[in-house]
Amino acid sequence: MAGNEITITIDGRNVAVDPSLTIVEACATAGIKIPTLCYLKNVSQNASCGVCVVEVEGAKSLVRSCVQKPTPGMVIKTFSPRVIRARRTAVELLLANHPTDCLSCIRSGTCELRQLADTLGVKADRYPKYKKFSPPDNSSEGIVRDDSKCILCGRCVAVCAETQTVHAIAFTSRGARTRVGTFMDRGLAQSSCVQCGQCSVVCPTAAIAEKDESREVFGALGDPALTVVVQTAPAIRASLGEALGLPPGSLVTGQMVAALRRLGFTRVFDTQFTADLTIMEEGSELLERLQKGGTLPMITSCSPGWINFIEAFYPDLLGHLSTCKSPQQMFGSVAKTYYAQKAGIAPDTMRVVSIMPCTAKKYEARRPEMDAAWDWWKEHDADRVPPRPFYDVDWALTTRELARMIRMAGIDIASLQEEDFDDPLGRSTGAATIFGTTGGVMEAALRTVYEIVEQKPLASLEFTQVRGLESIKTAEVPVGGIKVRVAVAHGLSNARVLLDEIRAGRSPYHFIEIMSCPGGCIGGGGQPVLADLERKQARNQALYREDQRLAIRKSHENPAVEALYREFLGKPLGHLSHELLHTSYRPRPF
Amino acid sequence: MPRITGNGTTEGLEAIVEANRGKPGDLLTILEQAQQQDPRKYLSESTLRYISTQLQVPLSRVYSVATFYSFFSLKPQGSHVIVVCRGTACHTRGSLALLNEALARLGIREFREEEENAVTSPDSFATVRTVACFGQCALAPVIMIDGKVMSRMTVGKLVAILEKLRKGGGV
Ligand code: SF4
Ligand code: SF4
Ligand code: SF4
Ligand code: FES
Repeated sequence: MAGNEITITIDGRNVAVDPSLTIVEACATAGIKIPTLCYLKNVSQNASCGVCVVEVEGAKSLVRSCVQKPTPGMVIKTFSPRVIRARRTAVELLLANHPTDCLSCIRSGTCELRQLADTLGVKADRYPKYKKFSPPDNSSEGIVRDDSKCILCGRCVAVCAETQTVHAIAFTSRGARTRVGTFMDRGLAQSSCVQCGQCSVVCPTAAIAEKDESREVFGALGDPALTVVVQTAPAIRASLGEALGLPPGSLVTGQMVAALRRLGFTRVFDTQFTADLTIMEEGSELLERLQKGGTLPMITSCSPGWINFIEAFYPDLLGHLSTCKSPQQMFGSVAKTYYAQKAGIAPDTMRVVSIMPCTAKKYEARRPEMDAAWDWWKEHDADRVPPRPFYDVDWALTTRELARMIRMAGIDIASLQEEDFDDPLGRSTGAATIFGTTGGVMEAALRTVYEIVEQKPLASLEFTQVRGLESIKTAEVPVGGIKVRVAVAHGLSNARVLLDEIRAGRSPYHFIEIMSCPGGCIGGGGQPVLADLERKQARNQALYREDQRLAIRKSHENPAVEALYREFLGKPLGHLSHELLHTSYRPRPF
Repeated sequence: MPRITGNGTTEGLEAIVEANRGKPGDLLTILEQAQQQDPRKYLSESTLRYISTQLQVPLSRVYSVATFYSFFSLKPQGSHVIVVCRGTACHTRGSLALLNEALARLGIREFREEEENAVTSPDSFATVRTVACFGQCALAPVIMIDGKVMSRMTVGKLVAILEKLRKGGGV
């Protein structure tokens, strides 16, 4: 908008800036990075920390640049001694009550507070400690909140309330007792929290983090009595490199496989195998609902934060959910039945580890109903029933946890030769790859449903209307004489828009894809922290590049999935599919 | 549906919510009146849940407001409420002695001032509460008993009032 620009003076230089920006953004366009803490673009803007102050000529006090806008002729100093002193004091006050734990802290390498302290050259222990903290909240499966590391910046509260409309957490109490807490301070597990982990991605410190289970996994890898197999979610190949210091959008599929082998996993498989399987089941389910007058719109069910959300906030709409388990859970039940039997592994000596972009996957793996393989062994092989019940998936690790394990093992991902996934559960298609970004499940389903119904190949595989990072995307696709109307939403505030339409009886759609996290799995709560739009875009593009690169790009052409149906499951929606691959939902009052 | 665990106050609550719904500051007014009408002068979990559902305000938000203002109590309060100002002016003029006297006279053994701001005597006779400042520093030390503000308080006067209350009298 060159026409509207105004001229201001930043540190003695005249610069033309867009007056609709804040001073912090305007300075960024001029190449000056003002530090911020409570402010996070598109997430929170509560002007509470005072780290972003600048001096404005004529103003008595320093100005918080994260909320103030420039005016014509404004003269700004971004690094005068007064500014630096004020910023330093702001950070020193925050550090007064902060544990000096950096060496053993989960955010050691990615902590904004620590970086800020470093940039500003703060002195420790300038102010006395005056706060007492309650012990960390370990109540939920996915995330841990540690008050002692909280600097009350409010980012988590904002993302939970506004981006996710979950309102699990808020500031409670006041003064020195102010903290971020849940209703009645009962902890996250008792609250409306859906475990999406978006708070852990925006938190500048270690006050909210994933529940780290890497030690347990190292333990299993070191146990010679166990066969430990691993599955990797589609989005990990586009973010693991970034978590290990490579540029955002680095695609590291082959190196990731190699690194997992070095860590000691017996078989390196791919969640994308069961993403293809999901398309077979979910596509068939959609066709059945369309043909037999089932509940429409049907909504996808692979995002566990989203499942937690609908169970809590829209229990009246549970009938709209596809009954398909998520690819993670399908993988667990197929691995511990079909594969265990085929490979001659006793299922109770097998451990399934998944690498997920997601903290809610940890919760999903521990849902009591997620023990289909155990049930299967009881029914189908009475002689070899393992002595104790077991989960289909033993541990779900986030991208961040895997990155830490790789670092700990001293593996340099960039220097590894690419390796291939193991057969058969490592075979997949481009359709499965794009599951990792918003719109991908929809596109994968359309590729398959279209070809199955029309009995002819698609002219173009790219359904571009459902791609991209806009909040809600819609399309109309003619399939077998029906104009199938579809919609895609990511981020739970956007999901609400589509759900409210259904509730009001005016949803025009047949099929809806919903992902809990903004951007889909590429922006998941277990992904590298502090992902801005550009980073998400880079991860998104990486997945589409991978799709293009793969020889097979349609789920129904995955030969290993075909074999699974031929050798084991029978047909989609068959009896065994129902036992192993489908599930049910229930209201979750909080 | 709100989950009301019958403490017999739902009806009164309903009226309070209906009378204030949609007015500016409705949440605060409703919380205040709800605490007032409760026989134990507090906001129970079921009261907070009811208000949250009725006003469509998230639970965490209701809790946030109820814990922000020191005049709300989330625990049952005693029959009488004694508020001791712990601001700087009152402190220099002996509010700690007043606080300790009140605690001792009421049989309250422990009160960790830096962690909580209210404590109720074991016999539920009275709740002692501290505030950061009443804003009446010129008249320090200030205390408030059952809603009545009393300035330039002394230990002697306090003891006399407590005795009167014990005998069933008012302030
Ligand atoms: S949160 Fe940051 S500053 Fe605090 S201990 Fe961890 S690394 Fe250090
Ligand atoms: S995990 Fe999601 S729902 Fe839970 S507190 Fe964090 S942002 Fe809110
Ligand atoms: S938990 Fe993290 S994001 Fe939330 S207020 Fe504390 S420091 Fe900020
Ligand atoms: S970043 Fe501006 S006040 Fe915190």
